[in-house]
Amino acid sequence: MELTFEQVTKFYGPVIGVNDVSFRIGPGITSLFGANGAGKSTLMKLASGQLRPTMGKVRIGPNSAWSYRAKRDIGYCPDINSFYEEMSGREFVYTMTRLYGYSRREAKQRAEQALAEVNMTERADRRIAGYSHGMRQRIKIAQAMVNDPPIYLLDEPLTGIDPGGRREIHDLLRRLAARGKTVLVSTHLLAEVEDLADSILMMARGRVLASGTLAEIRSRLADEPLTVGLSGSQPRRLASLLVAMDSVTSVDVRDDVLTVRVHQPAKFFPELNALVVEEGLELTRLETLDAGADAVFAYLEPRGS
Amino acid sequence: MRLFRAWITLVWLSFRRLFWSLNTFMVLFPLAGAALFIVRWRRWLDDMPAMDAFSRFSEVFVVQVFTLFLLPICALAYATSSIGGDREDRTLLFLLVRPIPRWLILLAKWAATLPIVLTMVIGSFYLYCHLAGHAGGDGAFRLYLAPIFLMTVAYVSLFHLFAVMFRHATITALVYALFMEALLGNMPGVIKRVAISFYGRSIMYRHVGDRFLEEPAVFESLPAATSAWALVAITVGGLLLGTLIFSRREYRDLA
Repeated sequence: MELTFEQVTKFYGPVIGVNDVSFRIGPGITSLFGANGAGKSTLMKLASGQLRPTMGKVRIGPNSAWSYRAKRDIGYCPDINSFYEEMSGREFVYTMTRLYGYSRREAKQRAEQALAEVNMTERADRRIAGYSHGMRQRIKIAQAMVNDPPIYLLDEPLTGIDPGGRREIHDLLRRLAARGKTVLVSTHLLAEVEDLADSILMMARGRVLASGTLAEIRSRLADEPLTVGLSGSQPRRLASLLVAMDSVTSVDVRDDVLTVRVHQPAKFFPELNALVVEEGLELTRLETLDAGADAVFAYLEPRGS
Repeated sequence: MRLFRAWITLVWLSFRRLFWSLNTFMVLFPLAGAALFIVRWRRWLDDMPAMDAFSRFSEVFVVQVFTLFLLPICALAYATSSIGGDREDRTLLFLLVRPIPRWLILLAKWAATLPIVLTMVIGSFYLYCHLAGHAGGDGAFRLYLAPIFLMTVAYVSLFHLFAVMFRHATITALVYALFMEALLGNMPGVIKRVAISFYGRSIMYRHVGDRFLEEPAVFESLPAATSAWALVAITVGGLLLGTLIFSRREYRDLA
């Protein structure tokens, strides 16, 4: 099942929360990445049917996200830290399951299954009021899983979870993706994006700057400046030849490793190939140093303004 | 069937959370205070002839204290926090993302609140009538039960509407109860018709009659049947408007 945004704009009075956003995501893990205030939470609320778009359409499969029918197909983990504090974790997850209309027996089974998935079975009888932040996050994820939805919307689900717990949640999300679920995870942590996601939606100032896999996004930035690491048999000679190229901005040589700043990547690589062949140079390493999510976002972020 | 089960779960969840809330203790204070007042007052009532004692109990306690103060306080304590409580502690979000139509969510909240408020209001009124001795008793309870029931249901609907519309619904409802009901409800002319208590008192005055409960000259009550229909209309209208607004409204303060 797919989550679809069609030219969605959302105004909060005179303030724009999401600006002309269109995308379609299907099975796999998609990371919704952006700085605080980028519009991630608004997008999540639109997807979970808490907000209605001012313009455009948000769809969960064939249904409008606002409709109650669409809610059968989503599991939503909010970024708020509010619960029925007087309940135990088990009681809370069970109650949330019953709100899908399952019988007592089925609700109990589903709740236990969800608690087991987030590794909370043993600790679920304690009152939520006494839970650590990480345990509360796990309970929120568990309540989103009880109806085994095709689409998961997880708003900052890893906030406050320790590294061990983070690994467990990553594994859980990968298992869900492997079962063919569509998982949209919002985050403001770049490390999570590269670590977890199959594809990325990058947001800034209410706009989606780019979408696709990190490699796809990077390849679309062929004309953007790039930093390349090179090692070879004659580093100083190679450096002098590279400096003479039009597409190169600067070359640093340190410990026989060249760091080349390129302002026209599309032109640079064919020229480098030709140069290596003509001059009989031997390259032992060629690496794009800023193809990571942080560098890609740094390129894209000013475009959102 | 699944939708019905989900709705029943929501009614039961809301009922439990409302009943075992601080509101119950807050409401029991004035109700217990009124009971103590009647116990003390009974010495004087017992010294009066039965008819005079009945009139005095009706005019002072039933109309002025119970109808104008205790009943709306009891209704607003629960009705505004059934949705308002979930809204304030932001747990409403967990309900809004479940596959239950929004109008049914509000209806579940209303259905969970009504039995609690009715039990509190009618139960306490029954107790007061019996604590008052010959000034009250079963006679007074039966006589005033219908208007008190209708007013309670109307208040519950109206305060649910407030909870849907206003973020701080308890304060709004308190201002309404103290200003509109107590103040405007006693003004001469038609302005008093904005108050729910006006219709309840109209039924009381017309139903019981001048012999036992004297209608103030400026009150200008409506016929009992008209007043009863007005209360039914407020109940249904408030609930319908509430469900309509709740179905369309975005609650941006939840996250």
